[in-house]
Amino acid sequence: MIVIDRSTRAFLPAGELGRNDDYEGKVHSELMELRVQVSMGSEASPADEQRLVAEVLAKDRKATADFVGRCSDWVYSFVRYRLTPRTEMVEDLTQETLLAAWQSLPNFRGDGNLRSWVLGIARHKVEEHYRRSIREMESPEPGSAAELAETPMLEQQLDSAMRQERVEATLALLPEAYGLALLWRYRDGKSAREMAELTGKTEKAIERLLARARENFRRRWNDAR
Amino acid sequence: MPADFDFEFRSLFSQPKERPEEAGGGAPSTLKARLYSALVRSQQESGPLASLDATVASGHEICVFEKLVQIAPVAERLKSPFFCEVCHARVLAEKLDNPPIFWPHCPYVEFKKS
Repeated sequence: MIVIDRSTRAFLPAGELGRNDDYEGKVHSELMELRVQVSMGSEASPADEQRLVAEVLAKDRKATADFVGRCSDWVYSFVRYRLTPRTEMVEDLTQETLLAAWQSLPNFRGDGNLRSWVLGIARHKVEEHYRRSIREMESPEPGSAAELAETPMLEQQLDSAMRQERVEATLALLPEAYGLALLWRYRDGKSAREMAELTGKTEKAIERLLARARENFRRRWNDAR
Repeated sequence: MPADFDFEFRSLFSQPKERPEEAGGGAPSTLKARLYSALVRSQQESGPLASLDATVASGHEICVFEKLVQIAPVAERLKSPFFCEVCHARVLAEKLDNPPIFWPHCPYVEFKKS
């Protein structure tokens, strides 16, 4: 079991933290994905997986049940992890991923393992969900949010578990696009520019959206005190 | 250099989370059951499923109801439909997390175990 988490940032000199954050966020996101891959499911050999795929393509119903049993556990865990606390879409995205994986199964070459391949599709589906939700969000008017005073420092003294719980509770109260924008930016390490490219919005619009989301988050965080 | 609020939020969102398996991370059995039914229905749309004989020949076990179909003296093409469609095990498994179904080699029972 590989366990790597962001507590490692404690070993970076304080000055390095800021400079490395975007990169670190991406590494964190990829490590979390690796953690899901490593920690879940059976260890089937490549030959077993190739055989399973061939049988599913031959429409063997028992092989299909095996495929669903394995893949749905991997995908559900991964999607849930990526969307928490906004978990209302987890089942739908798991279903979309499994159907897409089954439709693309003739393209599975077996170069990597089945789990990585299926989670690649799941990652795409989750990002598509982020993109769709943020794209549909009306861009805040210029000046309405970007100039909001970003009062620093949410309460930092909570212990780690309590803080995590409160972050998730607060996120769950935000409008969906705000919550997903914050998760995408700060948990997954996407830059505002990347988010703009992926959603077809301008970087300025994304920055305004993030400012509005942070402000909303802060307000609800402080209201809960 | 990122703004302070970026650092603040990144720190806030960076708490180590529970591992998926600690969170009871596997898919619910009702979801698996619905997914399985949906996939097999989709497979049927482009032609018959593999016959039960072929399934057994591949080394898979079949449930008692499928066994009855397999040995029935009827044409092979009549043995390929998705018989679970008319089985109460499917209906129960798609709706209940712990459905009262117990016979061996039924995929819906297997979903319940996993």
